[in-house]
Amino acid sequence: MPRLARVSPVAGLHRRRLPFVEVLAQSVSALAPSAAMVTTPAIVLAGSGVATLPALVAATLLVLLVAGCVAVFARRLAAVGGVYTYTARGLGPFAAGVGGWSLVIGYAAVAMSALVGCALYLAALFSFSSSAVAWLVLLVGGLAGWCTVRGIQLSARLALALEVVSIAVVIGVLIWLLARSSGSAGSAALVVDARPGWGGVALAVVLGVTAFMGFESAGVLGVEAQRPLVAVPRAVVWTPAVAGVLFLFAAVAQTVLLRQAPLDVLISPVPVSRLAADIGWVERLLDVGIAASFFACVTGSVNALARVLFSMGREGALPSVLGRTHRRFGTPFVALLGVFPVVVLAPVVALAAGAGARSVLTGTLTVSAFGYVLAYVLVCAATPVFLRRLGELTALPVVGGLVAAVLWLAVLAAAVFGPSLPGGRWPAVVWLCCLVPGVLWVGWLSRRARLGRVGVYDEPTVGSVLPGSLAA
Amino acid sequence: MTADRGLTGRQPKAVQSALAVLECVARLGAGVTAKEVASALDMPPATAYRLLNLLVGEEYLVRLPDLRGFALGRKVAGLAGAIAPVRVPQAAREVLAELRREVRAGVHLVLYTATTLRVADMDPDLPLQDTQLVERHLHATAAGKLLLAEQPEWRDLLPPSRLTRFTAATVSKPDQLDICLAEIRAQGWAAQFGELHDRVRCAVAPVRSRAGELVAGLALSGGSGTQPPATVDSVCRSAALLAPLLT
Repeated sequence: MPRLARVSPVAGLHRRRLPFVEVLAQSVSALAPSAAMVTTPAIVLAGSGVATLPALVAATLLVLLVAGCVAVFARRLAAVGGVYTYTARGLGPFAAGVGGWSLVIGYAAVAMSALVGCALYLAALFSFSSSAVAWLVLLVGGLAGWCTVRGIQLSARLALALEVVSIAVVIGVLIWLLARSSGSAGSAALVVDARPGWGGVALAVVLGVTAFMGFESAGVLGVEAQRPLVAVPRAVVWTPAVAGVLFLFAAVAQTVLLRQAPLDVLISPVPVSRLAADIGWVERLLDVGIAASFFACVTGSVNALARVLFSMGREGALPSVLGRTHRRFGTPFVALLGVFPVVVLAPVVALAAGAGARSVLTGTLTVSAFGYVLAYVLVCAATPVFLRRLGELTALPVVGGLVAAVLWLAVLAAAVFGPSLPGGRWPAVVWLCCLVPGVLWVGWLSRRARLGRVGVYDEPTVGSVLPGSLAA
Repeated sequence: MTADRGLTGRQPKAVQSALAVLECVARLGAGVTAKEVASALDMPPATAYRLLNLLVGEEYLVRLPDLRGFALGRKVAGLAGAIAPVRVPQAAREVLAELRREVRAGVHLVLYTATTLRVADMDPDLPLQDTQLVERHLHATAAGKLLLAEQPEWRDLLPPSRLTRFTAATVSKPDQLDICLAEIRAQGWAAQFGELHDRVRCAVAPVRSRAGELVAGLALSGGSGTQPPATVDSVCRSAALLAPLLT
């Protein structure tokens, strides 16, 4: 019989603070539904025409398969490393290290992307010149950093408020645009009604799943959630389900709207904004909504990123200083302060070197997609192994886990080798260049047998069992 | 978010099965695996796993660190503690009677489980105004705060939304309560003034088992000005006398 520890190996974070809605806010903010509602359907439409809706449905189902696998873990252990810790419990430390590092790249890249996105929309809102974007990145990054260090509850509440506002704004604007639409076909109708080849469909599915990424990030709140084993799996399953419905609504609306639009609107960066451009305040409202959603996405992604690094620090896979927590705020502040300079300065350097803000946004987003997809493949494959170890294997998770792992491997292959994603080939190269050092590091640690503690989670302690029921 | 859609009042079978699983873990002992529970209850494995996860989610059960075994959770103590009959040994009653002759304040004995408290012996001459309030609102009484200070995380026992305000002095902010409980842990006993009823003071000294577990509390209560500091010392001495009698 295992002996119980007196103190949880992930002690130091504020325990049991977040009610369900704030746990949900973590997943929702990292997913940034309103920004995706506005941007994704139009990009997919431009490349895949009539395949857009079926491809988005397929993407939603694929994501729900992963959500099902993640929930299997989330119901059984309260992790701080999220998908990384789950993979460790199924496939062991090496696979977890690879998946975890890939996830770290994913969270960091999406945080950069959202940071640039937020700065870009703020600049548009206040009609700043494009050179102001880099300064706004610094400003927004600093503000987001303060929020995340100050406490998970503050950033969760802020993210929740921002998301509610921005989703409402986007839905409102889309309905308003639909209500005043004329019904006659425009020059973009040819593209919207085009029948794509299989490559186009594959691209549409890959772009579709990209819109959902971050939904699994409630898995890092195992300590901070009030009832983690109930709230985390629920948040992880509900977030993509609701986001899927929102995306489908947005896709249907944009199919109708863009069919009536001129072609140059469809291929513009944000077609919805262009459609609303004739009434200035609506366009501005949309900018506010999207900027808010991006800001919440920065805090959500960085919160998740820092907690994965915190877990790695506590396990000894990374320097143990990353496992330090703030005494008063109960946040992994060393990990947070460590990642913020990277997340803020990388896009600032890229912008200063002359890259366009929009290409930084889409490029980093594509890098993050590779990071997430590999982590998802591994966590799906880990599900049946984990349940077998526990002696709780049933037919459904075996089939679900294996099917999901194979399908997501296909998504990864399509993304790497298939028709080129926005940003060309270099995001795949960047992702690989970031991944390889991590894999080598994990391999080195594993040869020296220093990964024994990988997979720490909020274990039950002497205080959590019925006193006297177990010899301590 | 407390109601789970899988378990409504219209599914008595599910409730029965869940209770059977709880009972099974209690009977087979800590470390029992999900498979063993399913076969002991002759239940389809998928159902047993789902119910076990549900009970773990509600913290009636705990999944042990190997992730395979289950044990009863701390929360079960609350179920048992609330219905167990209260018995105070005669020798302990005599210590209380002695103290009541010594001090000019209400002297009461409170018994603790891991998550609950019961007023076991109330001063007949200077009774508490309302024992139910004392047993229910842990943040507003000295006896309750002593119990909260003992928890790994007091929020598990008392959600911050239930920090009801009784008087102007009631500690009703989670952060304040954090500080207050840290003080109690440092000094080893708890006191409050006017937090439940205006101008009523209370101090509680812990009675601990040899292993350090909190089993009872010796409480003094009264109006303002009833307790000079020396009294706290004599209460702590009496509490020490009670320890071997109650454990």
